[in-house]
Amino acid sequence: MNGDLDSKWLFAIVLFPLVGALVNGLFGRKAGRGAVHFVAVASVAMAFVIALVMFKKLIGLHAHSLGNSEEHAVLSFNAYEWFSLSNGGQTLSIPVKFVMDELSGVMTLVITGIGLLIHIYSTGYMSEEPSYARFFAYLNLFTASMLILVLGSSLPLMFVGWEGVGLCSYLLIGFWFENEAYAKAGRKAFVANRIGDFGVILGMFLLAVVCGSFEFADINRFAMEHAPALTSAVALGPKGTPFLVFPGITFATAATLFLFLGCTGKSAQLPLYVWLPDAMAGPTPVSALIHAATMVTSGIYLICRLSPVFALAPHTMAVIALTGAVTALLGATVGLVQNDIKKILAYSTVSQLGFMFAAVGCGAFAAGFMHVYTHAFFKACLFLGAGSVMHAVGAHGDADIRTLGGLRKYMPTTHWTFLVSCLAIAGFPGFSGFFSKDEILLGALSTGQLFSFAPWLGPTIFGMLFLGATMTAFYMFRLYFLTFCGEYRGGPHHDDHDDHGHGDEHAHHDPHESPAQMTVPLAILGFGAIAAGYVWVGIAHFEPWVKWLAPALAELKEEHGATAPFIAMGFGLTACFVGIFTAYAFYFKGSETPAKLQAAFPRLHSLLMDKWRVDELYEVTILGFSRFLAWFAAGFDKYVVDGLITEVTSQLVMVCSFITTRFQNGLIHSYGAIMAAGTLALTFYVVAPHPRPSMADPEGLKVKFDAEHGLAYTYRWDFDGDGKFDTEWSEDAAAQHQYADAELKRGVVAVFEGAAYGRSAELSELKPGERLHVSKRDLGPAWQVDAKDDSLPSIVADATGVLIQPNGARVMLGTTLQPGNVKMHLALGEHATIGDARLSVTGVVHPRLSVRNAFGQEGARSFDLVLPKVESRIVAAVAGVPGVAP
Amino acid sequence: MQIELGHFLALSATIFGIGAIGFLVRRNVLVQLMSIELMLNSVNLTFVAFNRYAPQNHLGQLFAFFVIAVAAAEAAVGLAIVLSFFRLRKTVHSDRADTLKN
Repeated sequence: MNGDLDSKWLFAIVLFPLVGALVNGLFGRKAGRGAVHFVAVASVAMAFVIALVMFKKLIGLHAHSLGNSEEHAVLSFNAYEWFSLSNGGQTLSIPVKFVMDELSGVMTLVITGIGLLIHIYSTGYMSEEPSYARFFAYLNLFTASMLILVLGSSLPLMFVGWEGVGLCSYLLIGFWFENEAYAKAGRKAFVANRIGDFGVILGMFLLAVVCGSFEFADINRFAMEHAPALTSAVALGPKGTPFLVFPGITFATAATLFLFLGCTGKSAQLPLYVWLPDAMAGPTPVSALIHAATMVTSGIYLICRLSPVFALAPHTMAVIALTGAVTALLGATVGLVQNDIKKILAYSTVSQLGFMFAAVGCGAFAAGFMHVYTHAFFKACLFLGAGSVMHAVGAHGDADIRTLGGLRKYMPTTHWTFLVSCLAIAGFPGFSGFFSKDEILLGALSTGQLFSFAPWLGPTIFGMLFLGATMTAFYMFRLYFLTFCGEYRGGPHHDDHDDHGHGDEHAHHDPHESPAQMTVPLAILGFGAIAAGYVWVGIAHFEPWVKWLAPALAELKEEHGATAPFIAMGFGLTACFVGIFTAYAFYFKGSETPAKLQAAFPRLHSLLMDKWRVDELYEVTILGFSRFLAWFAAGFDKYVVDGLITEVTSQLVMVCSFITTRFQNGLIHSYGAIMAAGTLALTFYVVAPHPRPSMADPEGLKVKFDAEHGLAYTYRWDFDGDGKFDTEWSEDAAAQHQYADAELKRGVVAVFEGAAYGRSAELSELKPGERLHVSKRDLGPAWQVDAKDDSLPSIVADATGVLIQPNGARVMLGTTLQPGNVKMHLALGEHATIGDARLSVTGVVHPRLSVRNAFGQEGARSFDLVLPKVESRIVAAVAGVPGVAP
Repeated sequence: MQIELGHFLALSATIFGIGAIGFLVRRNVLVQLMSIELMLNSVNLTFVAFNRYAPQNHLGQLFAFFVIAVAAAEAAVGLAIVLSFFRLRKTVHSDRADTLKN
């Protein structure tokens, strides 16, 4: 589809909210409220309209490609290359590319559609808010980030959106950051998400390493065509020779578990769900949009997006399903007893997200995603309804249902939409939740071969979900009956201080219906809560939905009998009716049973009131540990780094500076004294005689000497080192001397060049009778004549040269090998080869230079002179030497 | 007794030594300046003495004039500094010239 002109508009879907966010963020403070919400609402509305047009186009493509199952109907637009990675000629390009297929198309419509309604609602709900522009800038930025998340064609681009929505979530939870508790809730959300993001990054790179691409389409194709590569054990290190192998953990399992860790953070599952209930600190429209309808479902979206990979990892699927089911139960049980509207809805969201994860974990990707879609309508409607109630009674984020009641007659629209949504979430027949919840139950019933390693898993999850569904129906209708039926119980008590700003004017009046900006979105969402299911379902099953999503999702063989859908539906209906009826009996009729139950199980009740005390558990375990770590690190820094290391260094510097600053004391006479002393020392050094002889290379036995010149120096030389000077004092520093043989024989020197590479010649001056010590290492590897005889040669000096007894060593004179162990004598100027080493015999003299200055002081120095000069060479390179490679 | 070059040099070295020691041990800036003058003049004495024994182009006398000019300039600058130092500290004690210390 590249190059298709219309696909460019995909970019515009993202761009409109982004520009809206920029305009409101930069200029909103100066602009009026009308301009701010015009920009905010219009940008999302434009995105929604374009998304609708694109979706219509997608439907056309989809119908066209139905006959050909290979072709996946997508609209895509490659905006530009973001960056590319190259590794040894292999280049991995990461473009900014937007793709709308069946999956992301539905998500885009939900985000822009529900986002638009919530933007409109917010213009009413937030009308008294001082930071009006900031709110809408964040909300638009969130919409743009969420659209990048779903439309991004690759994991990195999705991750940009993933982080973007996390940021906006943080900003909006802490929107009223003057309140310390709210700011804390924002931080908690951010930190919990950060843990998950770490998993996403690891999973992303693991997948890219195995599949060779970051693009979803490539990864999914790879998973379908090269499944064995993904189902092999995780191995770290170079291909073929890994240094670490994890047997039993496949690449698919590892990567999907990492990704799922990210999903538990973003989509509020165990163990990272704790931030979502606190996230209700944000304004209610934010709770509706971000923390119910869109952002928190992105984990399910990610799993569906990569469903072919997840399908290869049954163990991960089991973990997902179990996590989802347990979270569903946990959320539902807490929801049973809470009294705050938003708390109940928050735990309900945690619970419903658990249902979705249980579904995708059981391989029912379509069912899980269907619930994402229907849940978006009714949960957004419930939250907005709750917001409307709080607006009406003047509560700010903490409406206690025990103080409400009878709101039906004060706010009819809110009441009707709330009732419809409650029916939908309870799974009442004919409402949207009914279809999706039944499909989830059916998915848990028909896991087929997926959990062949644990056959009990499917039925267990089914049981937990059934229980969860029953409780859902119960707590939702408890909420409904207590809020809207009976008599109004006076509303929340007000403190004098109300930072929301519009509490007082309502406090002493009866509740009233909210303005049209709020009720119209409620009505539309309520209508969606009924009708959203019908678009996609047939009778008792949702064939059209499955068919629509089929190209985008992995196919898992669902084996169920013809009766299974009806069994699922039966259980679903039972859960719904039992829950609603119990709530009706307990709270509409005003039964004493809840109080009795509470009295009968006080500890269980307080445990549920305290939300299973998970926060407290984290407080003492993880937070306690990290506080200990912080305490330890701070102490280490304070006492070891600052105390010991810094203190020692500073004391050292202090001592040095104390000594040196004595010289820089600012006293002129002290400087003068130092200068005088320095001048004296320098003068003494310059005037004192320094004999520094040098010589040119000898020509035969003729040597030219020279000496360094000095102030008023005269020189004399003792060439043969016999103690008597051979020249008179002369102003000429140069001299030369022709040595006679007799002069040379004053010393014998063995110059030994070892075989080891890089060893320089070693000069040993030997007195007659003295022995030259050699080692095997000096002689090189092939020094022995006979492998058995490893006695080293003996080299002893006499008056005219050296005497060599070869013993076991290979000794050569010139290029001829000495036969046998025969003593030989080397005279001055001769040389022999022992093993790979070279031995030269040469004479040495110790000439002496004497220097005198103008004051008559004398200085003298002796030095070594080796004659005749030794020609250095590499012995191993001598051709024709037996046993030595040339 | 014939007066030789050595006598001139010995006198010059003595004067130079008196100047140097005076410069190092006295704390009165004016005395220190005078000590500097002493050292400069001892050098002048060696110059003219050398000139007497090597009078070819009177280099020694030439250099002595140079030194006298430099000494005059030095005295002018030095006295100006001493004057402003005195205005600042109401003393000419060189130990008190420690504004840059620490």
